Amino acid sequence: MPPARSVVLSCAGTGSRLGLAQTKVLIEIDGKSLMAWQLELLKDVEDLRIVVGYQADAVVKEVLNYRKDVTFVYNHNYFNTKTGTSFYLGAKDGNDYAIGWDGDLIVHPDDIDKCLNSKGEYIVYSDRMSDEAVFVRTDENGDVLSFSREDGDYEWTGPVCIKKDKLKYTSGNVFNMLEGHLPMKGVKVRAQDIDTYDDYQKAVEFIRSWKK
Amino acid sequence: MTKFIFDLDGTITRSETLPLIASRFNIRDEIAVMTRETINGNIPFVESFIKRVHILGNLPVDEISYLLAEANLYPRVIDFIEKNKEDCVIATGNLMCWVDKLLNRIGCRCHASECTVEDNKVKKLTHILQKENIVREYRNTGEKVVFIGEGNNDSEAMRLADVSIASGLTHYPAKSVLSVADYLIFDEGALCRQLDRLF
Repeated sequence: MPPARSVVLSCAGTGSRLGLAQTKVLIEIDGKSLMAWQLELLKDVEDLRIVVGYQADAVVKEVLNYRKDVTFVYNHNYFNTKTGTSFYLGAKDGNDYAIGWDGDLIVHPDDIDKCLNSKGEYIVYSDRMSDEAVFVRTDENGDVLSFSREDGDYEWTGPVCIKKDKLKYTSGNVFNMLEGHLPMKGVKVRAQDIDTYDDYQKAVEFIRSWKK
Repeated sequence: MTKFIFDLDGTITRSETLPLIASRFNIRDEIAVMTRETINGNIPFVESFIKRVHILGNLPVDEISYLLAEANLYPRVIDFIEKNKEDCVIATGNLMCWVDKLLNRIGCRCHASECTVEDNKVKKLTHILQKENIVREYRNTGEKVVFIGEGNNDSEAMRLADVSIASGLTHYPAKSVLSVADYLIFDEGALCRQLDRLF
């Protein structure tokens, strides 16, 4: 990983769409928690900053089962804020470049390197898999031109690498923070996020597919 | 400018200092229960401190001071303080006459509780440090204040600080601390990395 990058893993949400009243990183997928999967995939990241809110204590304890050298960042106002707030809080006292990463996103292990080590600033997306996603429109080089709730070429999966100085406090979403900085380089990966029970089942299949 | 204010017991030292005293003088059980209950916030700090000083105050002050001077410290935290001596401050509720030699060893500015000493014993408590007043003092001079602590008596100071770091190096921090902390860190390297980013 190039020097001076921090990864901000956002795990503060209530997981409301999944309907389990449990923050998503604590759900079990194929024998271990989603957090355990994330920590395995991000094991080479030196400055890992995990944003916690809902069920913070339980998330902290789960992380400590695997790794101690992370920085936990509190988003105490998690109920009234969205992912942009967590990304801002996680990035503001970290390294010069921040990579934002949603706790509910699983990236294929062979594509992790692209997410972490591509040059400069970039937005990561994947093939469309869900109807209720945020989509990106891209140009012929794959660079991201815009975000849309309605339609686009790819699904925006979440990871983004950006200079932290460009991030301003927001109570909104990460993609709202990025809109003023487009166009940005695009990086395509294989990934699955977990918003609904249907996504959860797909995530299980996704993980089993790379373990074969 | 940034001012880093550190709690002492359990944040810079690897263990609480009062139990060390109690262990040396064989009054461990009484102090251990009270220390645990105080850290967890079940006994108000001031009340607990007065009681603990009442129990320990008859012990020879110079022996305690020599004992605590040998306390086991977190080396990377000490290294950070040594490199940034002018920017670092220790705020401890502990008695200055007990921790003076330890503080000399660390070498940065320190605020502590005070007492009068007679015949090598604590005679009277004269000042119990409230750490939030120290934070207020530095903030009033325009400093950005970073507070690093873990016990219940750190929580008001952490609420007032610009950046507050709950340290889990020795104990899992008190709930009151976690409810106001910006960061929670369990590893010395990660703590020092974060401190370096806060100038």
